[in-house]
Amino acid sequence: MEASAASLHAGAGAHVEHEHHGPPEAHRSSRVEPQLLGMLLFIISEVMVFGAFFTAYFFIRVVDPSPWPAHGTDLPKIIAGFNTAVLLSSSVTVHWALEGVKRGNRFALKAGMLTTFFLGATFLFVQINEYVHIGFAPSNSAQASIFFGLTGLHGAHVFIGLCLLAFVNIRAFRGHFSPEQHRGVEVPGIYWHFVDVMWVIVYTTVYLL
Amino acid sequence: MLNPLRSEQEAFRFLLYVATIVIAITVVVLVVRALT
Repeated sequence: MEASAASLHAGAGAHVEHEHHGPPEAHRSSRVEPQLLGMLLFIISEVMVFGAFFTAYFFIRVVDPSPWPAHGTDLPKIIAGFNTAVLLSSSVTVHWALEGVKRGNRFALKAGMLTTFFLGATFLFVQINEYVHIGFAPSNSAQASIFFGLTGLHGAHVFIGLCLLAFVNIRAFRGHFSPEQHRGVEVPGIYWHFVDVMWVIVYTTVYLL
Repeated sequence: MLNPLRSEQEAFRFLLYVATIVIAITVVVLVVRALT
């Protein structure tokens, strides 16, 4: 019906307006960039997930009369401490990379992002190795379940971060990013710092305290 | 006001603050445990 009406208008020499194709334009915040807002909301939701796991952890610590760690088990504090140093270093390198790209220092961007990726991969490798040699399974006890749950949840977040960092590395080495346009480095950087903050809290509460 | 979700720089500073505070609390708790 509209098509025939449009052709009638066209036949009469009048200007035909093209219909709007595709979905309507998405709403945007006037204050926060969409990419940053997306990461902001994602991190907030993941903080809630961690909150739920920490609730379970503290419930078991406080309510369960069993000792922590469970009797007959030992948590590798020193290895996890080394892993903490690795992850904290990776936050420093991603910060270095972002400061570099803001100043137009492409060497800092590429070296920083590559180092961050490899440090993150080292963390994950050490964590998996720790799981293999730790000597207990998630099904052994409530303490074991929440240990694997909390550290495993964090490990999954590290893996997600590594996927983001891989993309940043590929783009950085392809010549993308500039002092004016580096959102693609900034947003994964924020996520990586969130992962690091979570690990600092996980390590101190689960391994040390 | 520090907003760690606003920029990477603020997120990094937040990480440093959290690490400092957590280390301080951990040291205090471990010292108290060792003394009692």
